[in-house]
Amino acid sequence: MNLRDFHLWIVVAAGAFLGALGVLLAVWGNPENSGICVSCFIENSAGALGFHENPRMQYLRPELIGFVLGAAVCAAGFREFRSRGGSAPLPRLVSGIFLMVGCAVFIGCPIKLFLRFTAGDLTAVAGVLGLVAGVWAGLKGLGGGVHLGSSREEGRGSGFLVPGFFLLLLVLFVARPGFLIFSGRGSAAQHAPWLLGLGGGAVLGALAQRSRFCITGGVRDTLLLGRRSPLLWGLLAFIAAATTLNLATGRFHLGLYGQPGAHLDHLWSFLGMALVGWISVLIGGCPFRQLIKAGEGDADAGLVVVGMFIGGALVQSWGIAATAAGVSLVGKAAVLAGCLFVLGATLLFRERAPA
Amino acid sequence: MLLNFFRSPFSSLRLSLLLAAVPALLFLAGCDREPQGPVLKIGYMNCNNEQETMQRFAPLTRYLSEQAGVRFEAGEFALTHTNSLLYIVLQHNAGLKLVAADKRGHFGARSAGTLIARKDSGIRTLEDIRGKRLVFGPAMAPTGYLAQYDLMLNAGIDPETDLAYYAIPSGSFKHEKVLYGLYFGAFDVAAAPALDLELMAADGKINPDDFVVLAQSPMIPYCTFGSSADLDPAILARVRKALLGLKTQDTVEIDGERVKVLQSAWVEGFEELLDSDYDIIRDMARRTNMPPYQTF
Amino acid sequence: MTFDRFDRFHGLLLLLVAGGLVLLLAVAESGGGRSAAGVDKAMEQDLDYQARVAFVQKLYGPVEDLRRDGQLQQALLKLDELERRYPGEAHGFILRGEILSRMGVLAEAVASYVAALRLNGDYVDARSPLSRQTEIRQLVDDGLRILGGQARSHPENVSLAAAVKNVHYLQSRLAGGCE
Repeated sequence: MNLRDFHLWIVVAAGAFLGALGVLLAVWGNPENSGICVSCFIENSAGALGFHENPRMQYLRPELIGFVLGAAVCAAGFREFRSRGGSAPLPRLVSGIFLMVGCAVFIGCPIKLFLRFTAGDLTAVAGVLGLVAGVWAGLKGLGGGVHLGSSREEGRGSGFLVPGFFLLLLVLFVARPGFLIFSGRGSAAQHAPWLLGLGGGAVLGALAQRSRFCITGGVRDTLLLGRRSPLLWGLLAFIAAATTLNLATGRFHLGLYGQPGAHLDHLWSFLGMALVGWISVLIGGCPFRQLIKAGEGDADAGLVVVGMFIGGALVQSWGIAATAAGVSLVGKAAVLAGCLFVLGATLLFRERAPA
Repeated sequence: MLLNFFRSPFSSLRLSLLLAAVPALLFLAGCDREPQGPVLKIGYMNCNNEQETMQRFAPLTRYLSEQAGVRFEAGEFALTHTNSLLYIVLQHNAGLKLVAADKRGHFGARSAGTLIARKDSGIRTLEDIRGKRLVFGPAMAPTGYLAQYDLMLNAGIDPETDLAYYAIPSGSFKHEKVLYGLYFGAFDVAAAPALDLELMAADGKINPDDFVVLAQSPMIPYCTFGSSADLDPAILARVRKALLGLKTQDTVEIDGERVKVLQSAWVEGFEELLDSDYDIIRDMARRTNMPPYQTF
Repeated sequence: MTFDRFDRFHGLLLLLVAGGLVLLLAVAESGGGRSAAGVDKAMEQDLDYQARVAFVQKLYGPVEDLRRDGQLQQALLKLDELERRYPGEAHGFILRGEILSRMGVLAEAVASYVAALRLNGDYVDARSPLSRQTEIRQLVDDGLRILGGQARSHPENVSLAAAVKNVHYLQSRLAGGCE
């Protein structure tokens, strides 16, 4: 580890800021242990757009808008915005759907996984183990030749669509047209002041764009490179910052029981996060990283984002999302269907040595 | 050699026979088989009458036989199914062990006794029942007699001296006769189990708006499975596990018909209570000079 | 990159349509845009919810009256009557839980509250008109103390373990989270 590597410090800063903001947004009004949760935010936003009818999950989260637009502005400023795409579009869309399935069954994305873990929620341990197992499986796949193809630069401007969509969402958020739903019930009614959410999200989006920070990337690089991986140090900075703030704000409660937004179906927490880790490695990043890449003009990541919105709607409409009572039969079937999808993709997208 | 078996001219026929034999063998293996070994008896207390009681618990007996791998029949008795007062009596006198309690109605594995009057009777409080005619349920019924007798004693009313008279219906279906006796004016006050009020109201036999609940006892355990002291602990454990694991959709075959075990037994499930949960009945029995603590 | 007549025409058309869109929205906004749009889903949803809350409170009013008067058994029987007409209604489960709690049937009370919350999480929200957060908190405290204590003394008792699991569910819902 080279302490004079500026990139290392950007990664550490991004990780620390993510961990701190994740706790602070909960202090400022977001749901408990969900100061930042990409999957929960996407489910909420899908509800706000009318894609599902759960009145307790309908709110257009400004943090999501901040992530994408912050990354877009930063990429544009540093001349890193590249409109690119074109590799395995439909599998990426479906991957986005199953990313949401895995997150919904665990009740949280990889960021929330570690926010829960740093708040003393021991039910997250199964999720951490699952994420590591999934990343390991994904790495084995990559090593075995599974490849969805590389995106290629194209001057067609498709990379502008997702940032443009989120810009539209920002306009809608401010204008509040009648077709947008901002529910006053449940977790949708729990939100930090929107300027803090948007501004914090934008700063985080910019930092993440510069640093390439990614939770599953951190796990992946740790498995590959060990302590030499800058992303590992970013992840550790995240954990340290989040734990410190959870302790300082009295939000650290060590235990299995009575944890907010958590269930005791540990096997399915493991499998849900394993699915997320596995898919994330194959498509090049966790849900948060997909948002950042979409902001940079990556249309492939943009398709994943579209898939995540579809998935966000489905997990609520079809009862796939787990609750504190546990994982429904539909949720379990959906996770297994996701595993079938990944296994199928592994077989179909493998570059085999000629006989 | 096996491969050569199938390479013969009749290989397709042999393959078909083998393919037919496998599911047949599996089917036969999965068929209900009568457990072997000695017969153990389950003593079922009569609820309304003997025939109804035997019919009600036949599927449950069969289910327990299958799950525990023991030949159970109704009779005297390695296991008992009685009300909670009789469980205490048998425990006191014969060392009966607690297995599980029935769950039924609002209170699950518990029930309560009530004293009720018709709304148009003018009786509003427990004090008003002095000098009135009262009908009890069976004398050994914890929520048809014991709990209400105790309620009255606690309120300073002696059923032996402070009522005009009290009676217990003769014959079978005593529980329903108690409520009908009140309804049709033969009695002023009835000692009705809270569960009976619930069930008869659900069946439309009575209208809850027609009567007033004067008092209700504390919650006490409902009907209970017990086991004799010398029953093999392994069989006891299997029986308890089978009872606690029973679900509403579990069925057995009885007389050529597949029936739901819990529905046939009029029970919603079973709960594992603690022996200390029955202390409340023991205290009631002491206060009311009832078995097993009666003194002469 | 060179722009020919085709590009210039379509670029101009794009600017015209964009301008028209902005003008349309601006005019609609100043002329009562929300009503002109004819749809305000949030308001409709809110009205539906308020109507539902009012209906449920009216429907179960007799049960609440009996409960307040201390006629708990009568309240349960009245609740049964309503449940036959509206099976699976969360408010019925909540009232049943409240009554059973007062009657001292703790495990069954907890189970009723769990059934209610699984149907409708509003009962655990502090700001909801249906909120029962205080009662649920008390029930959790009692449950952990009584049922939890019994379960620790009798770890082999599966019924107690199931009852404690229900208490933990209520505890988790009280803690919040995305649900």
